[in-house]
Amino acid sequence: MLNKNVAPVYLDYAATTPVDPQVAEAMSGYLTVGGIFANPSSIHAAGRRSAAAVETAREQLAGLLNVSPHELIWTSGATESVNLGILGAARYRSDRGKHLITMPTEHKAVTDTFQALEREGFDVTYLMPDRNGLLALDEFEAAIRHDTQLVSVMHVNNETGVIQDIRRIGERCRERDILLHVDAAQSVGKLPTDLSVLPVDLLSLTAHKLYGPKGIGALYMADRPACHVLPLFHGGGQERRLRPGTLAVHQIVGLGAAAALAKSRQVEDLMHLQGLEARLWSGIGNIPGILRNGSETESFPGILSVSIEGIEGESLMLALEPLCVGSGSACNSRNRESSAVLRALGHDDALVQSAIRFSFGRGTTNDEIDLAIGCYADAIKHLRAISPQHARTA
Amino acid sequence: MTTVVLTNPYSELVKRYFANPVHAGQLPDEYNNAVAGEAAESATGARVILYAVIDRDIIRILRHQVFGCPHLIAAAEAFCDKAEGQPASALLELDLPGLMDELAIPVEKTGKVFILEDAAKALHIMLTGTTQSED
Repeated sequence: MLNKNVAPVYLDYAATTPVDPQVAEAMSGYLTVGGIFANPSSIHAAGRRSAAAVETAREQLAGLLNVSPHELIWTSGATESVNLGILGAARYRSDRGKHLITMPTEHKAVTDTFQALEREGFDVTYLMPDRNGLLALDEFEAAIRHDTQLVSVMHVNNETGVIQDIRRIGERCRERDILLHVDAAQSVGKLPTDLSVLPVDLLSLTAHKLYGPKGIGALYMADRPACHVLPLFHGGGQERRLRPGTLAVHQIVGLGAAAALAKSRQVEDLMHLQGLEARLWSGIGNIPGILRNGSETESFPGILSVSIEGIEGESLMLALEPLCVGSGSACNSRNRESSAVLRALGHDDALVQSAIRFSFGRGTTNDEIDLAIGCYADAIKHLRAISPQHARTA
Repeated sequence: MTTVVLTNPYSELVKRYFANPVHAGQLPDEYNNAVAGEAAESATGARVILYAVIDRDIIRILRHQVFGCPHLIAAAEAFCDKAEGQPASALLELDLPGLMDELAIPVEKTGKVFILEDAAKALHIMLTGTTQSED
């Protein structure tokens, strides 16, 4: 019998993080009368104070990425950044060529955007990863054509934590005047991301994955002649006319504060995550039939994805309560569409459906990891006692 | 990947049966007169096996093994709970709409519960050699 009398344990930091109290405190001064709430486009004194706050936040984010502040464009989040970066650049450079390269293991924000470009007449090559989830550089080079103009590869995979070698991918792109867009929603603020040395042209990020608020993100656009985007929206001169609309000052201040905090804590946070991941894997890695999804070495320690033989995924999710974790099914709907990322690793549907993603953060404790180990082991034992599959797979 | 539970899709009764399925598991070897009926769905891999011990046409013991979603596990548990002590013909009298209503099983899961009904029919065939009730 499963014991459910325990408070929820949040292990879904890859889905979103809580706003850090310091960030919330910073934001609170930019909302109400008495605070700095004016439209930053207004030229009066109050507006100028808002504009100054926006530029301070831009400098904070630029400091985290080691770029110039003017290379950052505020957006509503990573999905919008991805759309602006990929659609905007591909359309702007369509005379350069209509061939694009990405991977089926990208977030749907990216793959759906590429599908939109296919409907506009672009030709997209989707490169499959190897069984560890990594892009093979020789296959990547072989896929490049004379008319390839844009490549998009994510830094850290949101489902498996696999880290792609964006430096080497970027070097090959630069050699051929191809733009590289990187979806860095899962990595910015968590892994060192020095864009002064990484050959990345466009990079998408969001605040809510790094202890900032939801609803704000940014697109990094390298200050290079070849790198430019066409806007998706029209209606104002904000953000160099590339992303018009009244700037959400409190949200931007939140992203800036979160970026500054992440920069100051990056080493400490990363060590904390490494300890948590090692503790969890040592606790569940010996369960018969368990399989780690994605590379064990080229992996972000804040995400541990596992599948297990002979276990039905939906029942596993219920049996795991009170753990709040990610599953091998779609995160964006109520249906149980199985993960394209895990299928691309060569898993059959049963293994995909049994996948559980544990993701940790600053607030995660060793006690919570120990509770997760116990819950997972109990859930597997419970379901195998019920299942006729167990006799077949044991 | 994904946070699945947007609203709670499981009734309290489903959660209770799922967490404590007292009729789950194979029968011990001492029941060498037990009979089994099985059904499965190839698309999802869902599978139900029912085991029964019958004495003078009464289902004395009914057990299940299920590979499937919580609703299917709960439905199998509820069915075993109700059918034990009933005549063997109860295997053919599974009140599917009533069971789905009782457990608040969403309509899109109807196909899953059909697997249980098929397993019960298969068990009845193994017991009697017929799909028809003899009442």
